Amino acid sequence: MIKLENVTKTYNKSVRAVDDISFSVKGGEIVGFIGPNGSGKTTTMKMITGIIKADVGKITVNGFNVRRDPIKAKESIGYIADNPDMFLRLKGNEFLDLIGDIYHVPTKKRREKIEEFASRFELTDALSSSMMNYSHGMRQKIMIVAALMHNPPVWILDEPMVGLDPKSAFELKQMMREHAKAGNSVFFSTHVLEVAEKLCDKVIIIKKGKLLFDGTLEALEAKSKSESLEEIFLELTEK
Amino acid sequence: MSIYLKLVKALIASVEPSKQEKKYNRIFYMVMGFIAVFGIMLPMAFFVGVIIYSLTSELLKVGSGQNAVELFLQLVSVFSFVFGLNVIFNVFYFSGDVENLLPLPLKPYQIIGSKFTAALISESIMEFIIIIAVFAGYIIASGLPFYAWIIAVFGMFTLPVVPLAYCAVICMLIILMTSFIKNKDTVNKITGFLTFAVIIGIAYFVSQTGGFDTEHFVSALSDPSNALISTMNMIFPQIHFLVSSMVNNTVINLLYYIGINGASIAAFMLIAQAVYFRTAASVNGGTGAKKRSVKKDLDSLRFHRPTVSYLKKEFRILFRTPAYFMNCVLINLIWPVFLYLLYVLQGQTNFLDSFIYGIHSGNEEMVLLFVLGVSAVSVLVTAANSIASSAITREGKHFAFMKYIPLPYMTQLNIKALISIIVSGTGMIIYVVAASVYLNIGLKLMLLCCLVSLLSVMFASYFGIFMDSVNPKLVWDNELNALRGNYNIFFNMALAILLEGATCAGAYFAFRYTDIGSIMIIIVLLILLMLLTTISYLLCCYKATENIDKLAV
Repeated sequence: MIKLENVTKTYNKSVRAVDDISFSVKGGEIVGFIGPNGSGKTTTMKMITGIIKADVGKITVNGFNVRRDPIKAKESIGYIADNPDMFLRLKGNEFLDLIGDIYHVPTKKRREKIEEFASRFELTDALSSSMMNYSHGMRQKIMIVAALMHNPPVWILDEPMVGLDPKSAFELKQMMREHAKAGNSVFFSTHVLEVAEKLCDKVIIIKKGKLLFDGTLEALEAKSKSESLEEIFLELTEK
Repeated sequence: MSIYLKLVKALIASVEPSKQEKKYNRIFYMVMGFIAVFGIMLPMAFFVGVIIYSLTSELLKVGSGQNAVELFLQLVSVFSFVFGLNVIFNVFYFSGDVENLLPLPLKPYQIIGSKFTAALISESIMEFIIIIAVFAGYIIASGLPFYAWIIAVFGMFTLPVVPLAYCAVICMLIILMTSFIKNKDTVNKITGFLTFAVIIGIAYFVSQTGGFDTEHFVSALSDPSNALISTMNMIFPQIHFLVSSMVNNTVINLLYYIGINGASIAAFMLIAQAVYFRTAASVNGGTGAKKRSVKKDLDSLRFHRPTVSYLKKEFRILFRTPAYFMNCVLINLIWPVFLYLLYVLQGQTNFLDSFIYGIHSGNEEMVLLFVLGVSAVSVLVTAANSIASSAITREGKHFAFMKYIPLPYMTQLNIKALISIIVSGTGMIIYVVAASVYLNIGLKLMLLCCLVSLLSVMFASYFGIFMDSVNPKLVWDNELNALRGNYNIFFNMALAILLEGATCAGAYFAFRYTDIGSIMIIIVLLILLMLLTTISYLLCCYKATENIDKLAV
């Protein structure tokens, strides 16, 4: 579903944010993307979504090349950015309506999805308010609802748990499991290693733009003598 | 003092345009800067200097040499006050840094003092140039010695203090009086409408004073009973002392000048010390979320074409964001006030009356001037309201949205241009129709003017979008800062005015100095406008979309 082949991104001709990385996320998989701050996680995710252009390499999403077929690739993605402060002058339902229109979600399906998600995230009372009045967590929830409303085959979530209350975080993890179970791909970045440990089929570890590890948690544990994921992560990234 | 200076530095840095990292952008900005400084700012300053020089030379003969320079400086102060009101409201209360500064162990006067200084420096650069040009014209005409230049430089930097101090006092008192309104946006909109009301009030006041008879301008200026001059002297008394200190070389006048400036600063600092924390906290209090039944919310969801939905989003953000509403939408209502002022100030010269008479009597030159005027104003208004030239900049932190949604860039740019065309075009068409009815120019000419206006607005809109795409200012902490210190808006205005100016001047001179009739000139003008619009559209199609694609955020 997501495939990166020898992708590189350099800023200002000198800073290699992403350095010749290749990996894939198959249908039915939940993949955690882990790395220290500034390791290139967000840059990689932005290249997959078409926000940033890769200097070298090829990226395909759901079979569509993001450079040659950008609109088809984008239609296949549900993306949650790391900052939920978006279009705060709009009301919650106006924002969801905009996203529904852009992704061609029919009215009936839109109402069903929003009703379901809003109820799971306890957002139902807030939809008619300006997002300016939302808390950070509520803004994050509305971004999640917007990104997932069109039921895209590929979810790309940049630190989606930040700002969520425990119940909403639980609901999101459930939804990620349900989505993968239906044969779709979920690719998300996180700093919370316990989440990756409990949720992921495999993890990808990145540091200074270079891929350090790509495989299952079992394979990662087998590579190291350390016991916890936290220790293995530190061992790998602080070398 | 050190905290104050550090705060000033940090606040100025927050409104400064970002440095150009790409060589192509650096060259582009250098060329644009050169055009703006040498093509617009310096010629304008030179023009002002020459007017003051001529008037002072005449006034010296009747012993009132300093009246012209004083009146011009007072008018500059009025402009500074009018345009400073909105800025001071935003800087003091609505900028993103307020929430970060309030929890720090700073005293109100430190916050307000640094914010005032930063606003004074970043907002007054053009004003500084005009002030020094006014002084230069006066000093040269009066033959004043070297010390006058030193006072002039001192005056250049300090003259905007009193008008901005007035803004500061009014701003804090209004926020204090409206502290029962909890919604920040409502307060922000009230302050914007107040600014508008002040401009109308000034226009009304000037119309009541009777203005000047431009044929007898010198005698009007030397008349001590002129209501406009005497009222201005009461509002801005420091100007008279500054100019007197140059003429008489007396320290006492300079001390009066410094004293008035000091008193104005002390007054708003004292008020700040007493009310700033209280008022800032009330404005930044926020409101709770409204609750409504989910069924109603779900019923309101309807499928629309993506373009319609995107258009609605753009309109909502433009009209609901106070800084955009005031600076991009409301400005379309303000410029006719200045046109009215021009009409009032014509006095008995009746230039406009002869113009109107010329149109009524079918004078080809006047008709052509009217059509060219419609085109020039349409371009100027569209460029000045910056709806197009800040269209990408206004996306700010959520610019990435433009890139990851499955909607082609050109479709998004077309919608952004359409917003500018609708807002600027609607205003222009209303004014063109109103002017046509008032001037009784006939249906055919009115329709022609509407077409000229619409084409001019379309050209300026697509051109503005292209200019903004070159290097949009995407990092800003509050919406007003997206528009302040934004070179794109200024450069777009400079280039659009130059292109339009060259087109209109070419058309007029072709009429004056060749045998081509006005009808043919207007047809050529229409073709030129279509050409300019097409070129701007193609620039958006090929270059602006490429710029967006390359932009890394």
